Formats: sequence, structure tokens, C-alpha cells
Amino acid sequence: MLYGYGGHILRVDLGRGSAVREKSDPAYLQKAIGGRGLNSLRLHDELPRDVDPLSPENMLLIGVGPLTGSLLSSSAYMTISGKSPMTGILGDSAAGGFFGPELKQAGYDQLVIKGRSETPCYLVIADDRVEIRDASHLWGTDLWQATSAIRKELGDNAFQVAAIGPAGENLVKFATVACNYNRMFGRTGMGCLFGSKNLKAVAVRGTNPVTMADPLAFLELARELDRRILEHPEWRKRHDLGSPLLMNALNGIGILPTNHFQKGVCDYVDKVSGETLAEKWKVKNKSCFNCNIHCSRYYVTRELEAEGPEFETLCSYTSRIGVDDLPFALRIAGFLNRMGMDSLSSGETIGWAMECFQRGLLGPEDVDGLDFTWGNKDTVEKILGMIVRREGIGDAFAEGTRSLARRFGRGTGKWALHVKGLDVICGDPRGIKAFGLTYAIASRGADHLRAEPFFELTERYDEAERRWGIRDIADRLSNNGKAVLVEHTERQALLTDCMTMCKNIGLSMDVLDFEFAARLLQAGTGLNFTAERMNNSLRGIIDADRRLNIDLGIDSSMDTLPYRFTHEPLQEGPSKDQVVPVDKMVKEYYELRGWGPDGTPPAK
Amino acid sequence: MIVIHPERCSGCERCQVYCSFFHTGSVGRSRSRVKVVKIEDIGIDYPVICRQCKERYCTRCPESAIEVGPLGGIVVSPTLCTACGICETLCPIGAIELYNDIPYVCDLCGGDPRCVAQCNMGAIEYVPEETETVSLSEFKKQSKDLSPEKKRVRFTLDRTRHLREAWKASVGE
Repeated sequence: MLYGYGGHILRVDLGRGSAVREKSDPAYLQKAIGGRGLNSLRLHDELPRDVDPLSPENMLLIGVGPLTGSLLSSSAYMTISGKSPMTGILGDSAAGGFFGPELKQAGYDQLVIKGRSETPCYLVIADDRVEIRDASHLWGTDLWQATSAIRKELGDNAFQVAAIGPAGENLVKFATVACNYNRMFGRTGMGCLFGSKNLKAVAVRGTNPVTMADPLAFLELARELDRRILEHPEWRKRHDLGSPLLMNALNGIGILPTNHFQKGVCDYVDKVSGETLAEKWKVKNKSCFNCNIHCSRYYVTRELEAEGPEFETLCSYTSRIGVDDLPFALRIAGFLNRMGMDSLSSGETIGWAMECFQRGLLGPEDVDGLDFTWGNKDTVEKILGMIVRREGIGDAFAEGTRSLARRFGRGTGKWALHVKGLDVICGDPRGIKAFGLTYAIASRGADHLRAEPFFELTERYDEAERRWGIRDIADRLSNNGKAVLVEHTERQALLTDCMTMCKNIGLSMDVLDFEFAARLLQAGTGLNFTAERMNNSLRGIIDADRRLNIDLGIDSSMDTLPYRFTHEPLQEGPSKDQVVPVDKMVKEYYELRGWGPDGTPPAK
Repeated sequence: MIVIHPERCSGCERCQVYCSFFHTGSVGRSRSRVKVVKIEDIGIDYPVICRQCKERYCTRCPESAIEVGPLGGIVVSPTLCTACGICETLCPIGAIELYNDIPYVCDLCGGDPRCVAQCNMGAIEYVPEETETVSLSEFKKQSKDLSPEKKRVRFTLDRTRHLREAWKASVGE
């Protein structure tokens, strides 16, 4: 018996209307570990390189890991992967909630979905029973309506549903998928991939318990991890505020994106902070499966109620575009969640347009008469509606910032803040150098979560000395040793994704080291996981991602940052005068990764 | 009895996870004796668990396999039970449900409920002296012919109405 793992792969062809349940291959699983690793290897091994991301041949993968749905705290995550419609390279996005554990209980490690249904459909999985159902009547409904309707149709509220909204149906390149109404798979356009397959949703219900190889040993390890989390100095703040705590935290070190990264300090941060949100509108904590932090929040305002928002959304629709109105950001967050559209990428198209207006590179005549002055809320609401419907200039915005800037030219590309087509997150890399390197090398584009080198923010100098022999690693403004840190935490981040744990916990709170993880995997699966073998797997997956991306057109010239971060020093605040010397760090990183000077991994 | 405070429940399901693990060695909703209902679009999470009701509907078992134990919890005799499912039908709130021919219902873990120990939100509390204080007879009328999951959802909506009203009243203050 295979412990921990679900034991099966489900291959669905929506074009043919077929579904095949295969037994998982234990050797393959051990190499891939699970979750994102499993998806990445599958893409590397099976994806036809030249497919159009929106064609039926593109693969849509949903992967969980051996510890998903187990006693392990926050083992709630899953990863959706495919060739990204937004970037054309590796695309994936992870989120927590309750879908991953349910998929595991239905007996699966991975769903492999191909083909395109003739008419809108949704996929229903109840243990070993699989059905493709008509979704014509759901096409056009928002994400919340669709989720509720599907649960009602199936007559069981315990079904977990991952669905798209109108943005996904209309093939907006940065459309999202969401489970539990509010858990967003936001980045790289996995919602667009759903839409391209005419797939409105996947609903899953599983009744098989998750069984560990050595339950008592696993219990002890899970308890040890619980202790590490509960005794963590940041527990209280993370519990009270969740990720919006970063509004004040980043502002305090001068890296809160303000007016599209023109500044790293926001004068009105108190009006839009996590503290203000919690104080005024939070009514209770919310949580993903089996978490003991409960960092999410339910809020109720006069206009709406929902869960969230997370920091990236909050920042994207406040300081990043010059808005000082928190209820407005909540309204936008609610709208985006229901429409199934990513806040970061939609926010960057708007930030870019506002910057181009300020510089006189674009005017109202270019954008259907809209006025992209900083903080113009009316324009923000209008353009978002137009993007979802792909109406007028919204159709061009729906392609993403890189594409928009190419369309307009005239030097607007300089202000399109993306790497490899994926927009930069809300954290100014000029004051956090290891993050800068991470955005440059991350295999899905400008992303922090691929390495989340949070350690550089902790000022734990002695610990840096002990772990890596380089004290500067704990200094956020230093470039020294940052490639060492990123090479390390990139593996740690991947491991967390493979174990389908929350990266805020496993990685940012630094509670999951390799030795401990190997013990967890061993007790969970009974397979011979050691820290060394596990690290070999992790390096193998990172190399596989890189080989796939090279096949899909990436080269080392793209491992860089937008001009602003490498050439324009910040003008004020605690990160004043800083830029990111990214090229030097990237070279160091290649060397540590064992890649050639052109960023090519050794042949397999 | 186990008392629920829905205003504190985050819906993490740790009660469910540890209930299942401590009784069966594995983790899964179907083997848990407490089942968390989540109604996300109105922000409600509610662990449904035996209320030790005044009526004790499930003890009307035709095989006399179900009785009230010394702590006030429900005890099912594995030798007498024929898995007929009548207890599941009788329970108005979906707190007893069969999985693989075994009825799963809260047994209070011998007086030290694991769900309570695992909840760091204070949403589940054990009050041993309180038992048979809740009447489900009114609720029973609206739960006829429903599946256990549907009963749980209905019970959740019923028990959290006041919470929704309190939230709405708090807006704008």
C-alpha cells in the first residue's frame, strides 16, 4: 500500500469526454515528491513544447502531495499548472483552502486535464466516479454563483469546487481559479487555461481517509511543528492581521510600492493598513484546512462582505496606484474575486497606464477617453469592467502589461514592470536584494514565492553566520551572499509547495528545515526520504523547470529586472539610494545552481 | 456537552482532523464524529457535533445498540449494531452518520475531547455538567428526509442566525 499519497492519477480528456484512473508510480512520486514538483515533472516529461497555451493540447494539471490533508498544520495547498497563457512559459499557481485535502481523500495525487469540451462543462469527481457535466447554464455566472449552484446541483455542500468567473470564460490572460469562493489561484492565468478548455469548474468529494505509514511518529512530528508555529514571535501579528500586516511593515522599511514604485514610502498608509482593516471591518478569523494561525479574515462593510483581502490585492489597489481609500480596495477585491481576475496583474496594467499618463506617453485618446490620473477610482472601476468583458481598450489590457506596452510602444515598455511577462509583486526589490534576485530568476516570472528569502528581513546575523558563514545575509540592503540565500530558500520554497504546506508558515516563519521535512515525509509515506535524496529531487525539479523554460524560449537575458529597479535609486526613506545590482547576483546564482554562465542546467 | 461558539470558529477543521485521527489513526471527514460546515459566501463555519439532546432520538435504535453513557455521550455497541442506518435518519442535525457500516458519533473521548484540546480559537468547549439541556424537537420538524449533510447545513444556518445579525448591526458603528 502507498501511504500518504492518494495513489492515483486521473487523466481526463474533455474533447473525447473520457477519464482514466491510473495507479501512481511510487518511483515517480518519490522523485517529484508531490504538489508543484509533481506538476513540474509531468509538464517537463509530457508537454508538447510548441503548443499554443490556449489550444486543447495544452495540459492543465492539479497536483497535491503526500502530506496534503494530513495532521500536518496547513497541509492545505495544491498547485495548478500548465503552459501559461499569460507568459508562454511554465505557469503555476498554488492556494490553500479545502480542495486539495478533498482531492486527496478522493484518492488522487494529480489531475491531468487535456482537450477542449465542445460546450461549457464542469468535472465532477466523487471518489472513483468521474462525470463531465454540462455547464451551459453556468457560463456567464460569477465565481460565487457558480460555486453555490454546483454545490446545490450535486446536493451536497461538502463538495469542494474550484471554479472560474467571467474573466476566465472571456480568456483574460490573468484570470484566476478559486476554491472555497475566496482562495485564489492568482498568478500566470490558470483561470484562462480553464476557460480555453470550456471548463467552468472542477468539483470533488472524497471519502477515503488519509493514512500515514507511521501514524504515531507522524503525530509527534506534527506536534513539534505546531509548537514551532505557536511559539513563533510573529504568531500573534499574523493571526490578528494576516498578510495585510505587510502594508505597515513594508512602509516602515521604505519598500511599499507607491505610485507604481516611484516611491517606497506612502504618507497615508494608516488609512489603508492591515491594522485599520482589522479594527474597522474584521468580524472574525478565517482559515485554511488544518491551520493553527487562522490568518485570513472575514469582513463586513456597509456594501459587502467577504474573506480577505490579502496584502498583494490591498496594496495593488491602494498605494501602488495612489488610492487612499480602503473601502474602495475592498470593493475592488470583491469584484475581482467574483469575476475571477488577478489583482496583481490587473493592478499592474493600471499602474503602468497611470505612469504613462504622468509621463505624457499615453493620453485619453489612446484608451477610450479614460483618464488614468493617479488614484482615479472611477477609471479603475471602468477599466476593470472593460477588461473582464474584453470591451474596447479593455481587450488590450486583458492581454497583460507586457503585451500592452508592446502594442503602444513609444517607450512605454520601460515602465512595464514585469519579468518574463509576469508582473512584479508588491515589494520594492531595491530595499530587499535577495527578493530582487528571486524576481529575476523565478521560473514563472517576477515572483517572490519561488524563494521567499524572508530571512534577509530578520536581522538574525548570528544565525546567518551559523547557517551560511555570511553575516550580511541577514542585512536586507546588502548584496553579499544573497545568491547563497536564494539558492537555499528556492529549494525550501519548492519543498513547501511539494508538501503542500503554506509558504507563509513553512518558509517565511522558517519552521520547516530539510532534516525535519525528510522525517515528516518518511513517517508519512514510509518511503526512504532523506534530506540528501530530497534535495537531489528538489534540484532535479528546479533544473527540469529551467529546461522546460529554455525550450519555451527563455534565455539568460530575461533573468533580470525592469529598468526602474536597476537604475533608479529610491529617493527617500529607509531604503534611500538603493538599486539592485541584479546581473552580478544572477551570475553567482547560476554558479551555485550548477548552471552554465548562460543559465543552462547540465543535460539530464 | 460540547458547546460551540461560532463567532470564534475560523473553519480550520482541526477538531475534525484530530477527532478522526484519535479514533481511527487516519484523517478524513467521513471518519470524524464532528463535521465542520462551511458556508463561505456568508462567512459561517460551524462544527456540528452531538448536542446530547433531551430527546435522544438516536437511542430509539431497533437493535438497542445505542445508549447514553456515563458521561452523557452516546455509546454504540459494535456487536448489536446492524448498520441499518435508522440512527442516522433519526438524528435531526446529522451528528451521527454511517461510513463503511459504522455509525460515527461523538463519544466525548472518555471525558477529554480531542477536538476541544486542538481548537486554539476557543470555538469548542467541553462543559461536562451540561447535558440534555438542548431540545431539538422544533428543529426536527424541518429536517425530515434530508441527508446528514443537508441536516448539518440547515442546523448551522439555524444556529448562526444571531451571529449574522450581530455582524450586520456592528457595521457603520
